[in-house]
Amino acid sequence: MKMESVRIVALREDRKRLLEHLQDSALIQVKKRDRSENGFSKVDMTSQMQVFERNVSLTETSLKILDEYVREKKGLLDSFKGRREIDPDEIGVIASNAGEVMTVCNRIISLNKKLTDNAAEKVRINTTLAQLEAWKNLDIPLNTQDTKSTAVFIGSLPSAYTEASLKERIAEENPKLEFESELVFSQNNITCFVLFAPISQKTMAEDVLRTLGFSKPMSPTSHTPKQKAERLNKQLIKIEAENDECIKEIISLADRREEIKTTQDYFRIRADKYNVINELDHTRHVFVINGYIPEEDSEKLRALCERVATCYVEFADAGDDAPVKLKNNRFSKPAQNILTMYAAPSKGDIDPTPILAFFFYFFFGMMFSDAGYGFLMVVVIGIVLKIFKPDERMRNNLKLFQYCGVSTMIWGLIFGSIFGDAPAALYNYFTGANVKMTEILPWPTLDPQKDALMLMIISIAFGLVHILVGMGCKFYICFKEKDYKAAFFDTGLWMLMLTGFAVLGVGMATTQTVMMIGAGIAIVSAVGLVLTQGRDKKGFGKVIGGLASLYDVTSYISDLLSYSRLLALGLTTGVMAQVFNMLSTMFGRSVVGLIFMIVIMLVGHAINIGLNALGSYVHTMRLQYVEMFSKFYEGGGEEFEPFSLNSKYIKIQEDK
Amino acid sequence: MFSNGIFFAIVGASIATALAGFGSAKGVGGAAQASMGVLSEDSSKFGKMLVLTLLPGTQGLYGFIVGFLILVNCGVLGGSIPTVMQGLAYLGASLAIGIGGMVSGFAQGRASVSGIAMSAKDDRNFSKAMVSVTLVEIYALLAFIVSLLVVISVPAIKI
Repeated sequence: MKMESVRIVALREDRKRLLEHLQDSALIQVKKRDRSENGFSKVDMTSQMQVFERNVSLTETSLKILDEYVREKKGLLDSFKGRREIDPDEIGVIASNAGEVMTVCNRIISLNKKLTDNAAEKVRINTTLAQLEAWKNLDIPLNTQDTKSTAVFIGSLPSAYTEASLKERIAEENPKLEFESELVFSQNNITCFVLFAPISQKTMAEDVLRTLGFSKPMSPTSHTPKQKAERLNKQLIKIEAENDECIKEIISLADRREEIKTTQDYFRIRADKYNVINELDHTRHVFVINGYIPEEDSEKLRALCERVATCYVEFADAGDDAPVKLKNNRFSKPAQNILTMYAAPSKGDIDPTPILAFFFYFFFGMMFSDAGYGFLMVVVIGIVLKIFKPDERMRNNLKLFQYCGVSTMIWGLIFGSIFGDAPAALYNYFTGANVKMTEILPWPTLDPQKDALMLMIISIAFGLVHILVGMGCKFYICFKEKDYKAAFFDTGLWMLMLTGFAVLGVGMATTQTVMMIGAGIAIVSAVGLVLTQGRDKKGFGKVIGGLASLYDVTSYISDLLSYSRLLALGLTTGVMAQVFNMLSTMFGRSVVGLIFMIVIMLVGHAINIGLNALGSYVHTMRLQYVEMFSKFYEGGGEEFEPFSLNSKYIKIQEDK
Repeated sequence: MFSNGIFFAIVGASIATALAGFGSAKGVGGAAQASMGVLSEDSSKFGKMLVLTLLPGTQGLYGFIVGFLILVNCGVLGGSIPTVMQGLAYLGASLAIGIGGMVSGFAQGRASVSGIAMSAKDDRNFSKAMVSVTLVEIYALLAFIVSLLVVISVPAIKI
């Protein structure tokens, strides 16, 4: 669609109102620029913006916390659901509630912080308790000091002793030391004990203990270990109670979730607006908006601006770096996502969506090729669209598959496949007859298994058409840009050559004359290529360049062969379905057999749909991207992203 | 020694199913490991990761179809008992998808792992990753078509 650049000059006092209306209407994309024009300055709104963005992230965090404690009930199909629609008048209410909702968010976050702090505290207490465990039989505090006459040592040695062996070991170390010891705890590689010695021998005792590897306990307290442990246990209970309360409170706040979401969107929208103000040029009294707008919307914009503000609107040619907005009819619009997934068209490109859409539906149908599956796709997607009213992007994706479903149905009927050979299989199962699908269906079918070769030729023929259409686009683009040499020599001759080969192929199957005509066309175009492809080179290079270009024929051949996947995937769907039908009817005609049949059929066809729909989607996409787009499509344009209400959960109803 | 070719036909069916399945199992297994790594960080990417993980899974499917069609044609699940030469023809045909499927399954699995890493970094890379991974598939498809064309036409060949 043609874009224009637009420049709106308005009074500063109208800024808020004008921007709000522009954001609601989503008509323009604001140009981002590094420097302002002469005589203008920028208004710095960064600090306000940061406040809003901080609020957005606060709400995000609190929603995440709520999700941790109270899972949001989400159905399997809820992801199709569109944003909640709200009345424009509701915005005022949301704005006035925003402060209160933010307090709720802050509360949730502080509760969560309390919970994490408590968790850390719990770990600390548990470690201390584990350390105290060894000392629980000691009836004096761990930090008992020396008395006037006696030195007290409380601590542990890094090996196991008994009461007697400890005394022996100490005496061995220094026989002169007079001491009294009491073992508190002993295990594999640790012995906790208390040692009393006369104060006069304190240094001697210290020396002895040091050589044995004595160490003091980690957390000395003035209570006996037992008291200390009791206190810590009480603390643990208190923390548990606190945690329970926090969690209870968070859970009680969970029903504010919807409000938090709405508020998040409210702040997001405001942050966007301030972000735009940052980009605008201001003087003392007026400000200027520079942006892009699709040409067809320009009058709408002028009317809007003049209605809400005192302003001057001016349009101009958009220039080369304008963003692209694609406009397509109902048939091809769903395929737009496929195109933008590859790349938006650049300035020189044509919009290939209609062609892409047609071949996408066509090839997908040919690969998935089952009337039953196609019917399911159409009906299920229809129901989902009706019930959930998804957002535009999701709706387009679903529509894409619905159209593919129609094509799948048609190809299924051509190939004579309805849930594989289910009708025939079921008929045989209940009557014991032995009929084939072809005998049931009243129209002539093309059985991919029997006529595989035929179908392969058809696939490659479709491929040839696909590639020729792609090259036709290139031809058209070159022609439009008046690059006639490129149009006729680089593209036209190759198209001619491929056509020649096709005619030659037809000739091989029919008459010699047609074959001769085909060969003639191919040879003429080959000569043409040799003569023209070296035209940019000098001297001898001309000949080499021309001859070398003929080597490209291999790439065209490999492109064409690539279309044999149409046959392969078409076959896969059909054969897989048949396999499941066959397995399901294998258990004979009894109640158990019937149950087995139903279960296997349901599960089998579900698997088949999943696997082959994925395969068809991926391979169709590949045929478009690799085989066709490589012929003409440049891509690399920028998509038109209007300044709009960019919300995640709510959608404001349009005025009626 | 052999009065008919059913043994060879069954060996063929096994080769097609097992080797191609081996390739796919290894490919999908590696891709699944990589995607689970990504999912442990961000579980919302499940859909995309699933697609990339499943891509190397098709080889096994092709192998299975060839194996199944052999069984259908050679008298195990229908059709008539093949001659020795027909049995050998089935065996020969199954080698294409067996070996082709296995090796391309390995290769596609590795490509998938890279694709998963790539789209874990940026969602927009997904379609590029997907198409690149699919490039490998064509060789499995070609092998499949060769096997298939032979298997379908063997009953009609009088050898």
